[in-house]
Amino acid sequence: MAQIELQGITKKFGDVTALSDIDLTVRDNEFFVLFGPAGAGKTTLLKTIAGAEFPEQGLVKIDGQIMNHTESKDRNVSMVFENYALYPNLSVYDNIASPMRSKLYKRDEDYIRQSVDKVTNMMKINHLLERKPSQLSNGQRQRVALGRCLVRNPNVFLMDEPLAHLDAKLRHFMRGELKEMQTSINSTTIYVTHDYMEAMSLADRIAVLNHGRIIQTGTAQEMYYTPRNEFVACLFGEPEINILEARRQVNGADVYLTLPGQSVKLLPAEDTAAALREAETDNIHIGMRGNDISFAFEKNGDDWIEGSVYANEPIGNKVIMTVKVGDIKIAVTCPNDTAADMDQTVYIKFNMVNAIYFHGETQEFIIRNNMSRYTKDQQEG
Amino acid sequence: MFGSKKNNEEINYNEIPAHIRRRPYYIIAPGLVILIGIMIPFITAIFLSFTNYSFRLPKWSFVGLRNWINMFTSKEFYHALSVTLRYGIFATAAEMLLGTGVALLLKKDTKYSRILKVLFTFPLMVAPAVAVLIWQLMTSNTVGVLEKVLNLIGVYNFPWAASHSTAMFTAIVIDAWVNTSFVILLVLAGIQSLPKSPFEAAAVDGASAWFTFKTLTFPMLKPFMYIALLFRLMAALQEFGIIYALTKGGPGDTLMNISLTGYINGFTYQKLASALPFLLVLWLLINKTAKFLVKRQRHLANQAAGK
Amino acid sequence: MNQHKQKGIMRILEPVGRNLGLTLFAMFALFPLIWMVICAFKSDAQMYNTVFRFTPTLENFRAVLIGSDYFRAFFQNLLVAGGAVIVTVIAGVPCAYALARYNFRKKEDVAFQILSFKFAPEIMVILPIFLIFQKIGIYDTYLGLIWVYQLITMPLLIWVVRGYFEDISVEVEQAAQLDGYTWYEVFFKTLIPLIKPGLVASALLAFIFAWNSFTFPLILSGSKIQTITITALRYIASDTVHYGQVAVASTIAVLPEVIVALFIQKHLVRGLSFGAVKG
Repeated sequence: MAQIELQGITKKFGDVTALSDIDLTVRDNEFFVLFGPAGAGKTTLLKTIAGAEFPEQGLVKIDGQIMNHTESKDRNVSMVFENYALYPNLSVYDNIASPMRSKLYKRDEDYIRQSVDKVTNMMKINHLLERKPSQLSNGQRQRVALGRCLVRNPNVFLMDEPLAHLDAKLRHFMRGELKEMQTSINSTTIYVTHDYMEAMSLADRIAVLNHGRIIQTGTAQEMYYTPRNEFVACLFGEPEINILEARRQVNGADVYLTLPGQSVKLLPAEDTAAALREAETDNIHIGMRGNDISFAFEKNGDDWIEGSVYANEPIGNKVIMTVKVGDIKIAVTCPNDTAADMDQTVYIKFNMVNAIYFHGETQEFIIRNNMSRYTKDQQEG
Repeated sequence: MFGSKKNNEEINYNEIPAHIRRRPYYIIAPGLVILIGIMIPFITAIFLSFTNYSFRLPKWSFVGLRNWINMFTSKEFYHALSVTLRYGIFATAAEMLLGTGVALLLKKDTKYSRILKVLFTFPLMVAPAVAVLIWQLMTSNTVGVLEKVLNLIGVYNFPWAASHSTAMFTAIVIDAWVNTSFVILLVLAGIQSLPKSPFEAAAVDGASAWFTFKTLTFPMLKPFMYIALLFRLMAALQEFGIIYALTKGGPGDTLMNISLTGYINGFTYQKLASALPFLLVLWLLINKTAKFLVKRQRHLANQAAGK
Repeated sequence: MNQHKQKGIMRILEPVGRNLGLTLFAMFALFPLIWMVICAFKSDAQMYNTVFRFTPTLENFRAVLIGSDYFRAFFQNLLVAGGAVIVTVIAGVPCAYALARYNFRKKEDVAFQILSFKFAPEIMVILPIFLIFQKIGIYDTYLGLIWVYQLITMPLLIWVVRGYFEDISVEVEQAAQLDGYTWYEVFFKTLIPLIKPGLVASALLAFIFAWNSFTFPLILSGSKIQTITITALRYIASDTVHYGQVAVASTIAVLPEVIVALFIQKHLVRGLSFGAVKG
């Protein structure tokens, strides 16, 4: 297993820049997740590490060795492609056996049989060994692709949305298997997904990509509690974090915030007040998660804000109530037996302790309370 | 290249390694040799058309545009052009209409249709000269079976290729006999590749057969028909084998299309250089038409896929 | 009630009409071939006074096969057409790959140029080639003909095979390389099997075009190489009396292709539709 480093990687396709000055270090034995919306460049990044794409600028290093001029076959990396890339004319068995039959990584047939059996048993596809890819469902093809990747012993596993087409139960099961396998065989894995729950549950560290750039790198905790900007904050969490446009008011020693059209004063937590006072703008965005908002059908105090019920969605173990306050809609997480009628009057109160503050114009993170609890040493990359 | 292995800074890691950069050239090398070998005649033809090259004369020299001017001011050229266009358009039209019609008839899958589909490919296999042979066998005024059939309805000694008025007709019949199957197969392949759901929806909506054809079948078939049209028209405009085998361009000059004219002038009369402008004009005509049709076809195929 | 009756009548008429139309065309398409075979077995004397009832004879076959050099022409045709197709496959498949995978300016223009070779008037190309061949001494040789045949065999093959390459996602190649295979191993072991249907179809069609070619051998081969299409012509010109032999000559010229057509129906359609139908 190995450490992967990317230094200043830029990759262009004609006029389109897919990756822009990427710096990344994946440590040995780390389960590293690349997270971001479609088109962010995650697949291109993976292919650049694999050697399938050649960067215009920058260096790719595996264990300190520059790999730019090394062909894919010699890099000893293993990859699951988003579109599976199975060999259409070979059976499932032959597909998975393929990496062990090349001159470079050749093994004898007994070893091959054992490995294929082990992997197909884990994937639960051992009854499909003789079939061709065209005779399989999407989920089965995905598992074959995973199998072909896992059957080797490479420097690093590169996985591009390997569980996307599996049903929820199987996905859950496979997540567990992957994580367990990773710890037991000490592999380095770089994993691409756009499912934030998968990212948070599997990752040692996450990198968020958008438009070919890395926005933030860190642990799941850091992403969730101290996102670098609103874009990152919105990626993690269900329901999506509420971004409230607020106005900062400074009145002598006091600092507080008000929502447009509302008189209620929102008091920031102790250790955030100083940073808010020093902020260069009065235009502050408050990031408030749905489960940090209390609701009641009667006004319980002066710091409760009046609104009306816009929507009420029960989703299993909780209910997401969308409350309309003035022109803005706020998502509130409620217990799963909450019932409400449309347009019913409801009152909400924000728990300012957990608020995340962003600069109104640049949308960058300013402060939240208790920051030291959530941030580790910011490692480079 | 410079850059000893010791000094990493000398190697530019962002430059694609040489053997990968050169790979495309190795791949296309043999094909390129052949293609260039084919390009040379074209260039030579253009070059020679400005000379007075002839097999009779021991030496040749440049004569500028003389050959071209002679051609454009000759009756021969315009006659050849007329024959070329008439043959090309009528033969192609006949084949397209007949071919599409038969393909539509073959759409319904029955035992009969399956047998016929195989049998209909046979005429396509026949070389033009052989096709002419067969038809001459059938139409011979002395032993031909067609002649005997025509006798039954009171027509005797139908001249077929021997007379001015029927020669073009005869040539087109033979051309259609060989090549209609091409249109049939192509259109049939298109029909069989059409998605079922629009037709099912139309049936549910109670659409009539004509309506279904006009708004669904025909537009979706157009890309395939265009391919057929392209290949048949291009081939018919420059048809040589059938006409040569049939009458060598006769009777008189009835069937002297540009290809025939070029051949006769170039070889039989040995005036190579003066024959070339004819052929270059034909080439230009075909090239421009092909380009136009290919662009249209590409456009139509995208349209049909988007539907 | 009327509409119902109409529909009922239509239901009976429709297949009758369809089959009638098909039968008419079938007569047009197939009768000449049947007649040709019949004539092959008729003696010259019987040509004039009988139509369908006659006593078959093998006299014509003997005259053509043994008495002339028709057989020789048959084999020469096979050599030239076969050789041309082999050259086309070897040189054309990599070109098709290059056109499918590599991007460069004017790629579509180049692709069209290659296709347009097929449309070029054969006579126009022949005249200069005739001169060139004589100058460099490959007039009337196998090499010369095989080279010229590329004009009609290569564009088709490149066009169809390119489509098949484009259908293979580039990730399959990348996955194979990651598995440890060199680029050449990937090309021959993985890609070629995947384009086989298209390759077979276009190679077969190319063979048929080459076999039937008339203009090229007419001008570019002299006495040494006589392809079957040219030899057939001799029968028209000279032997106007021995119709039976004409029929035999035609039958032999057509037979190989008919047999081939019978067995590779599916591939033929694929090749003829130039990859438009991938079924």
